[in-house]
Amino acid sequence: MKYLALIFGIVLFASCQKVIDVDLNEANPMTVIEANYTAEDSTVRVYITQTSNFFSNEASPTVDNAVVTITDQAGNSQQVPFDAAGWYVLTNYVPSYETTYTMTVLHDGVTYTASCEMKTAIAQQPVIYDFVEPGIFGDGGYIVAVSYQDPPEAGDYTSAVLSKNGNQLKKLSDVTLNDDLFTNGNQVTRPLFVRFFDLGDTVEIELRTIDQKIYDYYTELASLTDPNSAAPANPTYQWTNRALGYFSAYSSSRQSVIIQ
Amino acid sequence: MKYLNTFLLLLLSSASIAQTYTISGTMKDSTNGEDLFGGVVVVKELSNVGAVANAYGFYSLSLEAGSYTLLYRASGFENKEVVIDLKANLTLNVELSIPKDVLEIEAVEVTGVKENDNITSSGMNVTTFNPKDIETIPVIFGEKDIMKTLQLTPGVKSAGEGNSGFFVRGGGADQNLVLLDEAVVYNASHLLGFFSVFNSDAVKDVALYKSGIPAEYGGRASSVMDVKMKDGNNKNFGVSGGIGLISSRLAVEGPIVKDKGSFILSGRRSYLDVFLKLSKQEDIRNTKLYFYDLNAKANYKLSEKDRIFVSGYFGRDNFGFSDQFGFDWGNATGTIRYNRIISDKLFSNTSVVFSNFDYRFTIGTGDDAFGVNSSIQDWNVKQDFSLFANKNNTVKFGFNGMHHTFKPGALTGGNDSFNELILDSRYGIEVGAYIQNEQKIGPRFNLMYGLRYSGFNLVGGKSYTFDDDGNRLTETTHERWESVKYHQGIEPRLSLSYVLSENNSIKLGYNRNLQYLHQLSNSTTNSPTDVWVPSSNNIKPQIGDQLALGYYQNLKKNAYRISTEVYYKTLQNQIDYRNGANLLLNNEVEGELVYGKGRAYGIELLLEKKKGKFTGWISYTLSRSLRTFDQINDGKEFSARQDRIHDVSVVLMYSITKNLAFATTFIYYTGSAVTFPSGKYEIGGEVIPLYTERNGYRMPDYHRMDAGLTWYLKDKKRFEHNINFSVYNLYSRQNAYTISFEENSETGETEAIQTALFKIVPSITYNFNIK
Repeated sequence: MKYLALIFGIVLFASCQKVIDVDLNEANPMTVIEANYTAEDSTVRVYITQTSNFFSNEASPTVDNAVVTITDQAGNSQQVPFDAAGWYVLTNYVPSYETTYTMTVLHDGVTYTASCEMKTAIAQQPVIYDFVEPGIFGDGGYIVAVSYQDPPEAGDYTSAVLSKNGNQLKKLSDVTLNDDLFTNGNQVTRPLFVRFFDLGDTVEIELRTIDQKIYDYYTELASLTDPNSAAPANPTYQWTNRALGYFSAYSSSRQSVIIQ
Repeated sequence: MKYLNTFLLLLLSSASIAQTYTISGTMKDSTNGEDLFGGVVVVKELSNVGAVANAYGFYSLSLEAGSYTLLYRASGFENKEVVIDLKANLTLNVELSIPKDVLEIEAVEVTGVKENDNITSSGMNVTTFNPKDIETIPVIFGEKDIMKTLQLTPGVKSAGEGNSGFFVRGGGADQNLVLLDEAVVYNASHLLGFFSVFNSDAVKDVALYKSGIPAEYGGRASSVMDVKMKDGNNKNFGVSGGIGLISSRLAVEGPIVKDKGSFILSGRRSYLDVFLKLSKQEDIRNTKLYFYDLNAKANYKLSEKDRIFVSGYFGRDNFGFSDQFGFDWGNATGTIRYNRIISDKLFSNTSVVFSNFDYRFTIGTGDDAFGVNSSIQDWNVKQDFSLFANKNNTVKFGFNGMHHTFKPGALTGGNDSFNELILDSRYGIEVGAYIQNEQKIGPRFNLMYGLRYSGFNLVGGKSYTFDDDGNRLTETTHERWESVKYHQGIEPRLSLSYVLSENNSIKLGYNRNLQYLHQLSNSTTNSPTDVWVPSSNNIKPQIGDQLALGYYQNLKKNAYRISTEVYYKTLQNQIDYRNGANLLLNNEVEGELVYGKGRAYGIELLLEKKKGKFTGWISYTLSRSLRTFDQINDGKEFSARQDRIHDVSVVLMYSITKNLAFATTFIYYTGSAVTFPSGKYEIGGEVIPLYTERNGYRMPDYHRMDAGLTWYLKDKKRFEHNINFSVYNLYSRQNAYTISFEENSETGETEAIQTALFKIVPSITYNFNIK
């Protein structure tokens, strides 16, 4: 709605923008843990950084001296060894589906814990695409759609991640989240209205089956990028002791298509 | 029952047993026959004895037999004296006339009667205006607007730049009961708030109750804004109107049968889109952006004792982008009223009221088109009585029942990629009953005390229960009239004034208000898409309690008024949202809500000059408005968005000559509370802002000056006209509308970008009136 008001202002009365000084507080640094356990390649990847000042131009400081441990549902723990510059990687860690994994990160005397259920992948059907005429949604182009048979029991949460010509589109706005609230058990074909593609592009869709917590987390994260929000707040903490970030264990299925 | 006994006791204690007779009748404006709501009749020989005309101009006064001089008066009218020898019941219909010019108002002063009703009345904090009062006050686009002028008074804050939405004493924008001829107006703004829905040609007057709210009003937690439409001239036909840069108005009024009935029809349309057609850019040429509204009212006197009124409002906003996107919204209201003077002491009014608000989106064309629509609709039946019991007591009582239909939204049409989604309709029955007495005790005490009972029954539809995280636990489908949840409560209301002398008084007000309907909005600006939801098994009614104390003084023969008011208000069952809440097209929207409490307090100072060539006021408000929610800001109290600590308004009006009036306003307020990041971090390589507290920052302070010049062109006998020049934001201050943080693509640095909606906005309006 603010946009309408702005259109009104801009069109008629030359509303004006300028850069101003805003004095922002400097929050104490907080730990940010991005942890992914990917079933597809049986690898745990953890990236630990710290928050920085909002106007800072430097890259987020990394945390290299944490102790990262992953524990399976049976209670067997394994350390995720430090790799380089904030990264901790554990390979050949074979997933057990429909079980819960717990991760702990010990840093500066504080232990951060989060857990996540590893879901079974949902098989994808071939990617379909369609041409969209230019219009208010943009310049037009090809839109791809993900298709799959939603499992019969309710509570399936997915995210669809696109790759274009071999490059993954990592931006939050390029990821489509889906729940099965209205589609449980159905044959689902969902157009991914995030990006237009051109003739000749190779488009791959990775359909991740994620825990509901991660679905909620990404939904909240996406709302932070909405400038209309009256009262933005940090997403619900996924880690104990208020570390930012998340721990997601997920499995994937892939399909790709060449647009022609 | 306990309350009722006390009430009756109070009433009876002051009843007199001597032989009394009743003088009753109506008070009207002599030029057009409009009822004088709030007109006063006092007895010159007696101290603190008189009556106030009700909303239909009816008054009644019972006195012991004898000779009296009755003095009739109303704000802006010449006083009228009537000498009577009271030996039997008497009907006196009185017409007051408007003084020819300002000087004569002062001449009226010579009669020796003080215009000090503000000191002696029991009701505190009632701010009243009629469009004539505010004619010269400059407003944006030159369109005089009662809602924007109200924002210049203490305790009332604008919802934003040029916005007709408002906050009263720290309450939310949805906590104001906005009534147009008794019909609730759910969205009182046009063009996203730049205009209010109230066309000043059609409005007789507006009253804003900030505290000590009379018991006849209920349904919102913070304030009541009661707008009354003109009845129409029952003596002569007239045409009036105005032509402005952005919109034009036309009104026709006249008698149906002279002195028996009249009508008024007024319309308004904006024509921004006409200018858009001149643009070089095709996109802009194809943009639609306009609103229109129509007000109609008619009344007819069936007999000396019976009168009917029919009034209605219909308004619509239209926004569109070629044929691909359309968005329109609007209110429709209708009121049928039947007045009956049952006896010379008892007046009855029966109303049937309809109100509807809806919006519609359409996207795309042809087979692919799809749309979203949503509405809220009310039917209300209302019975009110005024009993002028004796010279010391005026009792008002009544009841009403209202049926609400909520259609939160439907997504319809479209091709196969969209499934039709029709959200469940919900229904509510809201009832109210009240009794209130205005009582005079001795020469110094004036009391108004009352009780309101209100209840809300959510019936039919589906209900849900949720766990602490907002996940659905159960879903239940109810029969159409099956009760889902009944909420009820007692709302005590009290105002009392103690007159220290004829020039000063102190007043106290207390009110409790229950609110059963709640508006959900997660954006910073008012929007037609904000959803109204009823109280339910999950949502409790909002409760507002307010205690206010005021001191009032008139100086220099009532030429100056000073008032100081302090208040403390608590709000229970306030509503906010979970992170990432989805309020649109969500059947389980209640799962997205969290509940908390609020409080607001402040002091309001007002210096007003009412008479002379130079009039106006200066107001200063120091106030806070705070909220506490377990789930927000770690449970710590935080500022509400409208927590503007300092608020100053200056309004100066000066009659340069008989034909030239100048007015200027100045506004300053502390920037609204806002949430800004206090750090950042990266997720998947993307920068995410880090927040440490809710509303912990402030927008830059807001200030602005406007000026206007009204030139009254030479009057003919039956023709008046004037030209109004106004300048909004005289010194072109860029007041922040939004602040966003963006990366500068050249330097890579993050910058704070402030957007201001308007710089200086000049306008010109021509107004005319053919009588």
